[in-house]
Amino acid sequence: MRKIHVILGTLVASSMLITGLSTAAEVEDIIKARQSFMRVYAFNIGLVGDMAKGKTEYNAEIAANAAQNLLALSKMKNGPMWPKGSSKADSGLDGKTRALPEIWTTFPEVSERGTDLTKALEDFVGVAGKDLASLRKGMKSVGEGCKGCHKKFRAEKKQ
Amino acid sequence: MSALSADARRGELVFHIGGCASCHTEPTAEDEEPKNGNNPPILSGGKRFRTPFGTFIAPNISPDKETGIGNWTAANFATALIKGISPDGQHYYPAFPYTSYARMTFQDVIDLKAYLDTLPAIVRANEQHELTFPFSIRRGLGLWKILHLGDEPIVELKNANPEVKRGQYLVEGPGHCGECHTPRNPIGGLDFSQWLAGAPNPDGDGSIPNITPHASGIADWEAVDIAEYLSSGFTPEYDVAGGSMAEVVDNIARISPGDRKAIAAYLQAIPAVANKTSE
Repeated sequence: MRKIHVILGTLVASSMLITGLSTAAEVEDIIKARQSFMRVYAFNIGLVGDMAKGKTEYNAEIAANAAQNLLALSKMKNGPMWPKGSSKADSGLDGKTRALPEIWTTFPEVSERGTDLTKALEDFVGVAGKDLASLRKGMKSVGEGCKGCHKKFRAEKKQ
Repeated sequence: MSALSADARRGELVFHIGGCASCHTEPTAEDEEPKNGNNPPILSGGKRFRTPFGTFIAPNISPDKETGIGNWTAANFATALIKGISPDGQHYYPAFPYTSYARMTFQDVIDLKAYLDTLPAIVRANEQHELTFPFSIRRGLGLWKILHLGDEPIVELKNANPEVKRGQYLVEGPGHCGECHTPRNPIGGLDFSQWLAGAPNPDGDGSIPNITPHASGIADWEAVDIAEYLSSGFTPEYDVAGGSMAEVVDNIARISPGDRKAIAAYLQAIPAVANKTSE
């Protein structure tokens, strides 16, 4: 009986290797990649956001390009950036990520929220390069698209 | 009060600044609600809030006459909101933030009631809150209210202009921002010496940030940054509001731009306070 357990244990351990369960260092790299990805969003939103606030002058071309970039980002196939076991609760990296385990337990809601964002950004592409008033109005729905995921799937920051 | 006439359209703005939907919306309706929120809110209640005192269950505030508040008079409604007392004379638990609503004008209160009366009536009987002893004894709340219920302004702002005063009303009254952003004393009352200086997150992980103009707060946010955050949810670094604040932004995005500016002006005028828990 004990032998069977040992064999089973070895089998389970080796199958984990085969399916490529990541080491802590690898998970940390993945977390860095997705946070960098979010920074690229933030950079492009910043271009249009500063125009909306009147901190920079409205430039239709820059605004339209930023909107296109955001839409392209939302369409990227980023599944491998979100492997199981990379939440703040189960990665052992609390403090480095605020991703909540619900991301992996409430499927397909996460991907529906992603689709919502893409839809919001498709609309935004249509208005960002039009004029400042349209861009300002569009910021709200872009924000709603982003909040869609951040509402439920990211923990509060520690002060 | 009978001399005032109620305006449901103004009441809708009061509804959004008060964030009533965040607690009183049917738990499943919330996910199905279209992003632009053009459907009328379904205020049947039923959402559960786990706290150290036990679990509170949001009541039905839809205009159903049997299970909601359809039979309430404007005076019943005002007494509930401002005094924290139900039509049958019971004290409400302060999970319902009447300690903030106590600062609301009667006009806003009756406008809000007029708006609620236009919403769909939903039949859903209220459950009892599931509280632990001694918090299950409502009578104890009478004493608590003597200590914590008042309608005077929380911060004294000298030479406040009308915009700052409007912001003060919105933040300290209907907006009830202090309920989360201000830490509480051991019996659950707000610690006004730490007004808006941040607090532990009642929903679990992390903390609710300091929103005073202190270095550990939002000293480096300009008024336009605050107003934009309250509209789209984007911070000056273009991170986005998350958690319960994302829902707050959903609501505040629907009030007037002038009121969002007023909130910003007030938040820049209040005393800068260091967050005790961060030190």
